[in-house]
Amino acid sequence: MGSEEEAEYTFVCPECGESLDVNASMKDALLDRGCVICGASVSRSAFA
Amino acid sequence: MDRVIFIAPRALTGYEPMALNTQTELSPDETDAILGRHETGVISLARDDDPYAIPISYGYDPDERTFYLRLVSSPESEKRQFLASAPAARLVVYEEEADTYRSVVAQGQLQEIDRDDLSVEHIEQYGEAKRPLFEIWGEEKRDLDINLYRLVAETLSGREIIVERDH
Repeated sequence: MGSEEEAEYTFVCPECGESLDVNASMKDALLDRGCVICGASVSRSAFA
Repeated sequence: MDRVIFIAPRALTGYEPMALNTQTELSPDETDAILGRHETGVISLARDDDPYAIPISYGYDPDERTFYLRLVSSPESEKRQFLASAPAARLVVYEEEADTYRSVVAQGQLQEIDRDDLSVEHIEQYGEAKRPLFEIWGEEKRDLDINLYRLVAETLSGREIIVERDH
């Protein structure tokens, strides 16, 4: 993760299976823009 | 804008009378507009004397003159071999509209974005990049190796050619 914010969530894409540690800002961006890797839509259930 | 008139010799075209073509260099704003209204292009890579060109989908940031691409490959693929070690690349986007042809050529170095370096800005940029055409792969996305790249244009040029035909 390139941001200085600390990772708070683990994102697992339901379509491509990619797993990323993300912070709150990145979580919001993923929910808004979709999976950065494959472009699939992302819901809150993709975050743990 | 620079305007150049090309007169095609009859011996080369075989047309009678001669076609008169007008080529214009597009402004940066016009060039950005073409890139913004399209989402696909052809990127060319090279390794030694071997060329490699593939259709790609992209997102474009006009402020940074940067293209964002998702490329799908497998470890043994020809594409993977060409993508190794940040290759020099050229991206061509073109359109045609009746007798008007426009093209944009971007040249730069294709850089892979490491998963560990991903940021909010990347997520937003790749949200603009269109999804690759997975349906042509016949494999589940989980079985595909998707990598993120960016191409920062070191040079970017747009051209418009109007072909004046004798209808």
